[in-house]
Amino acid sequence: MKDMKPISAIVVAVCALTLGGCGGPEKTPMVEVDLETVDPQNQQVTFWYQHTRQREEALETLIAEYNQENTHGIQVVGEYAGAYSDIYNKMLVGLQGGSLPGLVVAYQNQAQAYYRDGGVVDLQAYMDSPKWGLSKEERADLFQAFLKQDNVGGVQMGFPPNRSMEILYYNMDWLQELGYDGPPSSWDQFAEMCRKARDQPFSKSANSKRSLGFLLEFDASRLASMVFSRGGAYMTADGSAYTLDTPQVREVMSLMHELEQDGAIEILTERYGDTSEFSVGQLLFALRSSSGLPFVKSGLESAGTVFNWGVAAPPYSGEEPVVNVYGASLSICRTTPEQQLAAWLFIKWFTQPEQQARWVRASNYFPVRRSTAQELGTYLAENPPYQTAYELLDYGRSEPSVIGYEPVRRMIESAMVDIMEGENVDKVLARLEQKANETLANP
Amino acid sequence: MVTSRMTKPWKKWVIYTGLGVGSVVAFFPFVWMLLASFMTRGETLRRVFAPTTLQWGNYVEAWREADFGLYFENSLIIAAVQVVGTLLFSLMASYALARISFRGREIVFACILATLMIPETVTMVPNFLTITWLNRHSPVAWLNNWPALTIPFMASAFSIFLLRQFLRGVPNELWEAARMDGCGHSRFLFQIVLPLCRAPLLTVGMFTFIGSWNALAWPLLVTNSPTWRPISVGLQQFVNEAGPEVHLQMAGAVIATFPVLLAYFLIQKEFTESISMSGLKG
Repeated sequence: MKDMKPISAIVVAVCALTLGGCGGPEKTPMVEVDLETVDPQNQQVTFWYQHTRQREEALETLIAEYNQENTHGIQVVGEYAGAYSDIYNKMLVGLQGGSLPGLVVAYQNQAQAYYRDGGVVDLQAYMDSPKWGLSKEERADLFQAFLKQDNVGGVQMGFPPNRSMEILYYNMDWLQELGYDGPPSSWDQFAEMCRKARDQPFSKSANSKRSLGFLLEFDASRLASMVFSRGGAYMTADGSAYTLDTPQVREVMSLMHELEQDGAIEILTERYGDTSEFSVGQLLFALRSSSGLPFVKSGLESAGTVFNWGVAAPPYSGEEPVVNVYGASLSICRTTPEQQLAAWLFIKWFTQPEQQARWVRASNYFPVRRSTAQELGTYLAENPPYQTAYELLDYGRSEPSVIGYEPVRRMIESAMVDIMEGENVDKVLARLEQKANETLANP
Repeated sequence: MVTSRMTKPWKKWVIYTGLGVGSVVAFFPFVWMLLASFMTRGETLRRVFAPTTLQWGNYVEAWREADFGLYFENSLIIAAVQVVGTLLFSLMASYALARISFRGREIVFACILATLMIPETVTMVPNFLTITWLNRHSPVAWLNNWPALTIPFMASAFSIFLLRQFLRGVPNELWEAARMDGCGHSRFLFQIVLPLCRAPLLTVGMFTFIGSWNALAWPLLVTNSPTWRPISVGLQQFVNEAGPEVHLQMAGAVIATFPVLLAYFLIQKEFTESISMSGLKG
């Protein structure tokens, strides 16, 4: 032990030196500027996004068009910066090193973390600016609920470029074989359908030995969909406390556990396993993001299993459906007033109905402006599942946008595992809520 | 003695069965990856075990869609520079630590070893700050260029440790004979010791190559365009929006892992030899 001391001391010293190197960012002081006098002429804006392949191509086409057409000579440079988590890490490191892009894709909780560290700016002034901002009509045209998702404590930390929602995919032909004429209207009916699907495989199934109602994914957003549809929420309206130990969460998890015990549903163990099994007629329902609609469609074509399918809101207990609407927004990084304004002008252009319509066609996301529907022309009529989901946009509810939500998501997923493994629901949820609320005190 | 002789075949059988099961478990994911890469999407959805006809087109599609050509070339250059740099600096550092007596040698070595205990994520921010500073003050661009991707990893504590273990075993008589012939440390290292170090050098090279080939977080941090991005970034980019197109994902994964497998098969003898000599155990 004696011999270990010098080495331990060295290890501690090296660690301390390394960690000591992670000093805080050299923050440039916030300067109040009159936005109306700022000139965005010939500014270059770097835009970090997560899109790849077809979506990236479409986005780059739009960016190129903007660069060519805008009268201020603004040049937006789009850069794939990794997945959401990579962008988050890159931003945190960039905050330390003082090398931030002009524009970044960020979920609400991520934007809050950046804002706290002085990395992104409040967009309210840009939106309200008489010269550069949004007109009354433009503002009224926006889905207010989307905009509100990015507004925390009166600070507009981001601006939504698009949104997605959690929808229930169902196999219509199979439901008819089971004696139903539509998707479930209540969770009890959903459970009943799952049990019937277990006992009566789909006639066109690729493998009649495997027949299931649903595959449960340990995912906070999936659970949120089911909780919201029962009238529950993850957080109080003022965002002061998590509400995870509630009758709604308990009912969802108890039902899922019961159905799993009955063999009517199983746990999802493979990424996209539910859409794969849905495509080959082995799974009656899948709860997924609406942005996956093209994958389901192409999956069905590839699998060669022809059947009628549709999408609907998850079963609900109130008078109206409730869907979990989410999506990352665009945040403007703190650079120079000129660059910030240039970034805002790009956002404003990108969210105009003409551009939104093109973006929707390429990405299958939902637009953030109502009038985009007119621009979409035949697209809605040609894509009935998309139209069904589009009509649910007014029933959206969102997950918490507080800074510490990311670790809470992991806690929720871990609690789901505990419950499905047979732990007492009441105990798990009480523990979950307590731990989640602790993160609010120390985000 | 009789008991021992009688249990021997039984023991052997157990050992070989265990090894066989272990091999199958280790090998199965690769086999599945390879088989799935030749399937149609319909076959992956129906979860068949083997493709009915080999879909070579998956490779063409993955290669084209993910622009693997560029990423592949980048990865090869980055890995080559990093391997050469790591071998050079690690060999010199380990030689000094193993064969030259100087004050504080053990402390220096302990300091180097201590860095092994610091997770990569912790060093990422200081490394990035250093690179940003160098980018501002150096005539050569560091960010979005090969220096940021290679130079910070040329000082490898593990490689120094591995080579030092080997160099300590080089007989002192060799050094004395070389000195009598007028050799200095540099000549002794590069003309006499270097040819003896083939196995550990290949092992260090292999580890460096794998580390460089698989690196993802750091290249994403210090690059902002495909110009210098390695294949791991290309693969991640491809997988992220390939969605449930497992057949294409697997074709991409085969393309990305092939050089690593090839490198390992080529030097596996030296690799095993070097690991056993260094006293390391898996």
